[in-house]
Amino acid sequence: MTVEERPTKHRGGRRAWFTRVCVVVTVALFAVWTLWPLYWMAATSLKSPLEATRLDPTLWPHSFTFANFRALFTGTVPFGTYLFNSMFTALVSALVAVVVSTLCGYGFSRGGYRLTGVTSIAVLATQMLPLVVLIGPLYLLLLKAHLLNTYLGLIIGYTSFSVPFGAWMMKGFFDAMPREIEEAARVDGNGRLGVLFRVVVPLSVPGLVTTAVFVFMNTWNNLLYPLTLASTDSRQTLPAGLMQSFSGTFKTDWGGMMAAALITSLPLVIAFFAVQRFMVRGMTAGAFAGT
Amino acid sequence: MTVDAPVAADTARPPRRNSRRGEPWLDWMTLPALVILAVVIAYPIIRTVLTSFYDYPLFNPEHSFIGVRNYHRLASDTVFWQALRNTVVYTAASVLGAMLIGLTLALVTERLRGPWRVLRGALLTPWAVPVIVVGFLFRFMFDEQGGVVDAVLLRTHTTGTAVPWLTGGYWPMISVVIANIWSQAPFFLMVFTAALGAIPPEVVEAARIDRAGGWTLIRRIKLPYLRDAALVGTLLMVIQNFNNFPLIWTMTGGGPAYGTTTLVVYVYRLAFTSYDLGYSSTVGAVWLVLLLAVAVVFVRVLRRRSA
Repeated sequence: MTVEERPTKHRGGRRAWFTRVCVVVTVALFAVWTLWPLYWMAATSLKSPLEATRLDPTLWPHSFTFANFRALFTGTVPFGTYLFNSMFTALVSALVAVVVSTLCGYGFSRGGYRLTGVTSIAVLATQMLPLVVLIGPLYLLLLKAHLLNTYLGLIIGYTSFSVPFGAWMMKGFFDAMPREIEEAARVDGNGRLGVLFRVVVPLSVPGLVTTAVFVFMNTWNNLLYPLTLASTDSRQTLPAGLMQSFSGTFKTDWGGMMAAALITSLPLVIAFFAVQRFMVRGMTAGAFAGT
Repeated sequence: MTVDAPVAADTARPPRRNSRRGEPWLDWMTLPALVILAVVIAYPIIRTVLTSFYDYPLFNPEHSFIGVRNYHRLASDTVFWQALRNTVVYTAASVLGAMLIGLTLALVTERLRGPWRVLRGALLTPWAVPVIVVGFLFRFMFDEQGGVVDAVLLRTHTTGTAVPWLTGGYWPMISVVIANIWSQAPFFLMVFTAALGAIPPEVVEAARIDRAGGWTLIRRIKLPYLRDAALVGTLLMVIQNFNNFPLIWTMTGGGPAYGTTTLVVYVYRLAFTSYDLGYSSTVGAVWLVLLLAVAVVFVRVLRRRSA
């Protein structure tokens, strides 16, 4: 086998130089396009209210202050409550989704009844549903069950996107897992459920974690359900709560809004970079529910 | 000991004959999920379709069957057609824009070496930013009074007067699409980066030996390899944008008037600001049928790829 000379060595000179300049300029341009809004959010959150609402905005915070962040937890907007509600419902939803969809995904992957193909395609298709079509009947259902304005009601609502997504995703993970491992464990004298919980589940921890993180992110992002299913402040989550506070009384409190936005983003950004490696696979299993 | 098909033969896909060997419990495991889906998806859909034939005020127990009158109303409802047009424009512009940017970035960042790779991670960040934050952020930046975009445009004398980003003419739709592209371009960057990584290195190497320049290499070798990724990514994003609610709702609320009202926003407005659940369900039901057509295409494509 001959080792080819690296072709880049042939192509020195002007053309390569030109390409390199193009690359650098493009990257720089898009770096500004991507990072500027993020910078602007951070910068505004650190400005005093007076500076944040100036008609002629300053490019960096002259009046460097954390007052906006402090005001979130001491002011009239119950930001702390929203934050807790978001965190709580998202975590519980992730847990529920992981348990239910592990069972379902494993059944789809290893089971054999005739309808598996049809059912699993149907489950995939439900991910394309607009949640807004479900929300009217769901609202009436929860109204009748006296579950409006409760955590349970919200979590039930969230299962309408987390379970189909999770089931499809876990099916993918189990499909990729060689069955010989299970056969071997069976031969070693494990019962059927023993195989599942002692062998299969530990091996699919990456899949479980990824599913959980995705569901967490989707739930955290969801605006439609809390907006309709929870109208009181005590059960409102961040998206709907902020939406309502900032379209009403705090319309011009840009500093406060950006501080809230920053805190709302942090958990997702952290979660995102934690599972970035699995991202593409998760997204092709079912894109983020956009609602 | 159970004897399966020869091990070498089942590399393509797992054999699915377990229940024939007496393991129905595998099928029962899907039951909890299916029960949940029956309650939170199947029931609401059926109920929506039924409600579409009723006059059904949300907070009034009195509702009456009115046959297809809601559907007649829909046919002559100019807002419905406007919303449909908005949905198509919003989706097409967003997906096209995000895909082009994502593709460019994937091709360009592929050449980054060493510590510069961190930059690609940074370019992905918008994808992790919650959609409502994107909405707030761009509403703030596009604000006519103190918004940074107009301020920069005015200060550099690019425009003489402030651009009415969120209030005038076609601008609100453009603003919403810009915000959406900002938030979704990283998706395509990820998808295309993964697809570029899957191109066999020998292919690229061979083309290089044949003295294919950078541009020819991209056009003749790389782009054809990206076609599948582009297809799946586009379909996913089309469906997602069809159903996107929070971005538009936080940025413009569907306004001014119905200027940025997509079908999803229209369904929501009808049900929860006009409390007209009957007609809202009609629009929803028609929307479902349209979506079904897209979903069928999507499943077909996925199946063809996995076959």
